[in-house]
Amino acid sequence: MDAFTLVLWALRIGFLICLYLFLALVVRTLWRDLRSAVSTAAPSVGRLIVVASPLGRPEAGTSIPIDAVTSLGGDINNTIVVEDPDVASQHGLLTFRGRAWHLEDRGLGAPMRVNGEPVAAATTVHFGDEIGLGRVRLRLERPFERVDP
Amino acid sequence: MRLARPRLRMRPRTRDRELRLLTVVALAMGAGWVSLSSTRSGGLSIGDPVPVVCWLLGMLGVHVAFVISGRDLDQVLLPVVGILGGISLLFMERLPQGLVVQRFGDRTLMLGDLQLLWLLLGLGLLGVTAISVRSVRWLREYRYTWAALGIGLLAAVFLLGDEVNGARLSMHIGPFSGQPSELLKVILVVFLAAYLADNRPMLARSSMRLGIIRLPPLAYLLPMLATWGVALALVIIQKDLGAALLLFSVFLALLYIATRRGSYVVVGLVLFFVGAAVLYGVLGHVRARVDIWLDPWADPLGAGYQVIRALYAFGRGGILGTGLGAGLPTVDGVAAIPLIHTDFVFAAVGEELGLLGALAVGTCYLILAERGMRIAARAPDEFQALLAAGLTLVIVLQAALIMAANLRLVPLTGVTLPLISYGGSSILTNALVVGSLLALSDRTAVRGVPAPTVRIARSAVA
Repeated sequence: MDAFTLVLWALRIGFLICLYLFLALVVRTLWRDLRSAVSTAAPSVGRLIVVASPLGRPEAGTSIPIDAVTSLGGDINNTIVVEDPDVASQHGLLTFRGRAWHLEDRGLGAPMRVNGEPVAAATTVHFGDEIGLGRVRLRLERPFERVDP
Repeated sequence: MRLARPRLRMRPRTRDRELRLLTVVALAMGAGWVSLSSTRSGGLSIGDPVPVVCWLLGMLGVHVAFVISGRDLDQVLLPVVGILGGISLLFMERLPQGLVVQRFGDRTLMLGDLQLLWLLLGLGLLGVTAISVRSVRWLREYRYTWAALGIGLLAAVFLLGDEVNGARLSMHIGPFSGQPSELLKVILVVFLAAYLADNRPMLARSSMRLGIIRLPPLAYLLPMLATWGVALALVIIQKDLGAALLLFSVFLALLYIATRRGSYVVVGLVLFFVGAAVLYGVLGHVRARVDIWLDPWADPLGAGYQVIRALYAFGRGGILGTGLGAGLPTVDGVAAIPLIHTDFVFAAVGEELGLLGALAVGTCYLILAERGMRIAARAPDEFQALLAAGLTLVIVLQAALIMAANLRLVPLTGVTLPLISYGGSSILTNALVVGSLLALSDRTAVRGVPAPTVRIARSAVA
């Protein structure tokens, strides 16, 4: 085998090695990303995005991470304090039980709405649904980082 | 008194990972280029390195633009595009240049130069999309416009298209020709994502029962049937099996992602097999494709010729490949596989880079899939999640479809290998898709939130 054939062979193998070096580096990046996503995963199970809030409480445009139990109402002790003439002090309860979201109206104020439809007493809601209390509208969204897809 | 609006300042943000990965891309392209030119010239040589240098400088340019823009974009997608586009460039420079010849005025451009041109244009499109798209609300708002545009494209191809290789795919407008079905896929993904995001709660609910299968209200099933109809129309009118198959599988996958209901997939697959069986019986070109796949040796010099040649190419390649420039016999200067630069480019990769090279290319698409699905999983709302998933699936399923067809695992359906096959429409469309994925990956941009904040972001862009 002459020297040139050997060089050609080395070049061929070199190209393949470079390809796999690239893949190895990428896979390492992906792995690190996955690890950091798990360790920094937000404890919240969802988010409420404030779509409309004429009186500014909660502030329109903000995104509020929420836990499994979230109370909504005008009283200061609620998880999310909602300021509106039509909102009672303890207005409603948003809970994540099993694998579904439940919205419960405590019946003390004007009925809550889901996607514009009034809620009788309790209903299930999904990510993407819009919850209305008085003139305040909140949209339920999935959390940024999710451990369990 | 109101405070002055906060202006979005361009704060450069370093992208170390991307730069590191791009360095390896450059290393690989250098090794590949030297290997190719040495094999061709019979002595150690770097040939005419202008195309590869152009491509690497293009990547560097986009990288610098990303750094300056200060957006928090995914750092893996650009290098993966770099390696796939680089492999494309190596092969297009290596294949017989006479496969594609185009004249622009008094200049004649051949396969390699044309592909370089398309790749660089695609790279530009990718960069502009990734940096400038900060909100995708408008995509969602005009969803029915997109649907109408898609149907319009379909009709335009039907009325104005030319038939090539038995499929009515390409269209000529003035001096330009293109394959609208490439763009059609993206438009329909946008529409489907918007439609599913709007109607997801309804679709996930079931009201009808058919034995053990629960179905949503009939009104919500209609779009599913409509998509099936569009796919059938693609097959019957345009004879474009690949686009139809891709469209329908992306749709089924998106429907499953949106509703988590396996019964839809079952219904969709039943629809698919019924449609496929009927078309096999009725349409000659569908039957021809399936028959070639089942037994290419029935007509080894005619219909089955390319498929058999592709299989031999994989066999010659073995594990390490013949090396760039050392494989792929030509007969009188013409490639033994006539479509080696488009549909069968994976056979070329399999022969010259071997099993290892083919696996590396496949892994690149898997990486695209992981990144895309991750962007989808972290998206701030349903629409963006479905959009990211759909765009990813368009690339990945298409790659899987054509790689499997090259290996005779499924019938050949005539789609391109994304970012590697020759072709302007294909390269530009896929660059647009990756650019959109990059834009969706930026979580620092204000998107999906209501008016006041969005207006700030928009005015800052303008």
